[in-house]
Amino acid sequence: MFKEFKSIFNLNWIYFFILLIIFWIGEINLYSAAGGSLDPWASNQLIRFLIFLPLFFLVTMLEPKFIYNFAEIFLILVLIGLITTLIFGYTGMGATRWIRIAGFNLQVSEFTKIALVIFMAKYFHKLNAEKTIGLFKSILPLVVSVIFFLLVAIQPDLGTAVIILVLGLVVIFYAGIKLIYPLLSLGVILSISPILWTFLKPYQQNRIQIFLNPDLDPLGKGYHIIQSKIAIGSGGLQGNGFLEGSQSSLDFLPEKETDFVFAIFSEQFGFTGSILLISLFFIMFLIPVLKTYKLSQVFNKIILFVLSFKIFFEFLINISMTIGILPVVGVALPFMSYGGSSLLSNLVICALLLNFMSINENKRMFS
Amino acid sequence: MEKNKTSEDSIKILNRRSFIIIIVGAILSLLVSLRLFSLQVINFNFYKKKSVENKLSIKLTPPLRGNIYDTKKNLLAGSSSLYEFVVFKNLSKDHLNEIKKLDSLIKLNLNFGKISNQLKKYNEYSGFSLSRASWEQIVEFEKNKFLFNSIKIIESKKRYYPYQNFSQIIGYMGQPTESSELYSKGVFHLEKSYEKHLRGIPGKIFSEVNAKGKTIREISIEKSIKGNDLDLTLDLTLQNYSQTQLPLDKKGSIVVISVSDGSILSMNSNPTFDAQIFEDRENNKIRDLLNDDKKPLFNRAFSGFYPPGSVFKPISALVGLQRNLIDTKKEVFCKGHSSLGDRNYYCWKKEGHGKVNLKKAIKESCDVYFYELAKKTNIDDIASLSSNLGLNKEYDIGLSNIGKGLVPSKKWKKAFLDESWYQGETLITCIGQGYNQTSPLQLATLYSAILNGGKYPIPKLNKNTPSRFTGKLLNNEHKKIIINSLNAVVQEPRGTAYKLSITNPNFVKIGGKTGTSQVIRIKESDREDDQYKSKEIEERFKDHSVFVGYAPYDKPKYIASVIIENGGSGSAVAAPIAHKILDFAFKNNV
Repeated sequence: MFKEFKSIFNLNWIYFFILLIIFWIGEINLYSAAGGSLDPWASNQLIRFLIFLPLFFLVTMLEPKFIYNFAEIFLILVLIGLITTLIFGYTGMGATRWIRIAGFNLQVSEFTKIALVIFMAKYFHKLNAEKTIGLFKSILPLVVSVIFFLLVAIQPDLGTAVIILVLGLVVIFYAGIKLIYPLLSLGVILSISPILWTFLKPYQQNRIQIFLNPDLDPLGKGYHIIQSKIAIGSGGLQGNGFLEGSQSSLDFLPEKETDFVFAIFSEQFGFTGSILLISLFFIMFLIPVLKTYKLSQVFNKIILFVLSFKIFFEFLINISMTIGILPVVGVALPFMSYGGSSLLSNLVICALLLNFMSINENKRMFS
Repeated sequence: MEKNKTSEDSIKILNRRSFIIIIVGAILSLLVSLRLFSLQVINFNFYKKKSVENKLSIKLTPPLRGNIYDTKKNLLAGSSSLYEFVVFKNLSKDHLNEIKKLDSLIKLNLNFGKISNQLKKYNEYSGFSLSRASWEQIVEFEKNKFLFNSIKIIESKKRYYPYQNFSQIIGYMGQPTESSELYSKGVFHLEKSYEKHLRGIPGKIFSEVNAKGKTIREISIEKSIKGNDLDLTLDLTLQNYSQTQLPLDKKGSIVVISVSDGSILSMNSNPTFDAQIFEDRENNKIRDLLNDDKKPLFNRAFSGFYPPGSVFKPISALVGLQRNLIDTKKEVFCKGHSSLGDRNYYCWKKEGHGKVNLKKAIKESCDVYFYELAKKTNIDDIASLSSNLGLNKEYDIGLSNIGKGLVPSKKWKKAFLDESWYQGETLITCIGQGYNQTSPLQLATLYSAILNGGKYPIPKLNKNTPSRFTGKLLNNEHKKIIINSLNAVVQEPRGTAYKLSITNPNFVKIGGKTGTSQVIRIKESDREDDQYKSKEIEERFKDHSVFVGYAPYDKPKYIASVIIENGGSGSAVAAPIAHKILDFAFKNNV
């Protein structure tokens, strides 16, 4: 189940170091979000990180073979978890997203992303022989993706659900589906989107309308976007400086420790800081991706590429939300938003990435 | 081996797809960066301004309103402290229950539904005024203070009017009507017209607030600037004295002005009201006041318009002199009436005045003399001289509902009644009846104009404005003739007000003119008759008693204009009042 201990020295420590830097920026940011106080967010998040760290290294040491073999089991586990959530879940803010496990409120949907990618990686690995993948072979992963999308969407948690669907589609695209199908479905989606609109809940329609025009409701739903843009815009080129973000410290910014944590960062560190942060996340994305070019096993390639893409994609979605180029759908900023499930799932992903980056494909791994 | 070949091809596809996704990711990152550049660099100033506006709160502190003084610096309107029950939402979550408790402990009669509605929208950290607090209520509150965490007693200011006799000139304050107005404002008379002068400039407290409106720190304070004071020409003692001279059961008005500069020294009207009830929010009294049939809010001195009666005759005489229609030595025979066409126009003295020259006509108020004069007079000359001498004018002295009145002309009649003028109407206009409408203040100004020889000071209330003179100069001879006759009214036997000199020989010697303003046409011969005390005539149909006098008669300093509605003849009622007031003014050197 586990690799030999000495293989820990083969881990990509540069990647781990970048992860630490980003987490540390997140800590500083939570500290300033509380007006220069560790309490209540920064200290809690640090404690969680330290608790999760042994698990993190455990995952880096897992045998890829073990992960490959248990791919379907993982998926069934999260399926059970999601159904349990729907039935027994803990409700907060109008949505049932959490179940209590061993004293933790766990958001199963976060782990769905990982399980789905692993499952699909294995599926396409088995189809390795085929040059390009036709529509027929793509139906199963597509159906599985849509099932999980729907299970999360009815919680309701549209943000996470959309991420799950996108990851599924990215796997299919990356695995080599004929280009005609993605292009065709894009056209179909665009043409039926007015019908999809009617399936959205009123609050979701509302969010999209207000995203298109925040001034519709400047003190209500549009308030988030307007205040977030004010905080970010007032940061300027250089930023107001550490702990000098007036909009956040004076509580003008709602949900500043979770979805809008980037506004806090950008108000303090300005355009310069924001570009540096984007660069860090981009480098973090590229390191595992570059490794994929050296690998030939489809399973390994998909795991490395899509999971790395997941973190970067969520990062882009989150900041696009805060700067008003995407509707507010509730996607956390990896390693910077306050919250346990998001931190844990992203740490597991990074551990998997470190694990798979250290793979030496000389020996045949999967049958 | 074959399998490996295809596998290698599929790896190439994966790597190509990977490249596409990286490119897409890079493009998306670039878009996000461009958007950030637009927000943080290009539109930085816009968002910076928004962020400052977000956190900056400007709280206004009310300025102290300027005081109003009489001519001797006696306070007529000032500011006094009051205490209010104020609720602060942030001090207790239970503030709504505390308000209920307060209402039951101290009977404040709060409209609870309205208050809780207003409170919902109210900033947590700004106090919301529930009600004014009387001393008894404050004592009761202090005893139970421990019950209330969110309610405090806060000092505030209200307007204070020490003398109610000035309410009809100074006016009163009202609640703000527009959302941009923060404090109560003058809504009537001088309080209204001098609002800008009196108001002052609010102070500003600039502070940084958080999203809930809680003050984090104060940035700077601009102190409020007190409004300017206003000095009036009115005299406190004369105003108070005059009010006592108006019969309580009659409507009426007294105006006293200074001959030399047009200063209004007193201006009374009965019935009157107390402006303080508006400041003290005595709602029952305010309701009674607004519903009062006698209209106490109505100041008859400048809003009340009556036919002037014989008081108008000097204008007719002056027109006659100017147009050479009168030979002062030539006498007209008064046999009690005069006829024009098939109509008789009666003198108030049934048996007639006999031979009458101009002086006698004014002194004894002979109507026939003026009827004869009117037959030759053009009504437009009357109208034009009247306007020159202060009638038919609205004085801009800051009073609400000040009227213009009317002296008829051919043009006016055509425009308003669409009829041409009849000479018969000139006859009754010349004795001050008919369409003529003048206010007591206008009549006082008319006599000021005559005494000043035509060029007269416009009445004024603001002591610190220079007197403005207006009007065309009269022929000095004409002026002397008229004044001489007016003096004779009081000073010579058979003058209509000669009785004044006999009753009160110690009083200051005055000149003037009696008048009886017709309410309805009774028998023409009944006017001006001292004997006329027709009790059988219903009170409201009785004539208005008018007198305009000046003192001292040889060197006029004061003019008093008196009207007592339904008072009867001018000589019997208005003239003695005017004499007393002129004497008071003269002896007290107001």
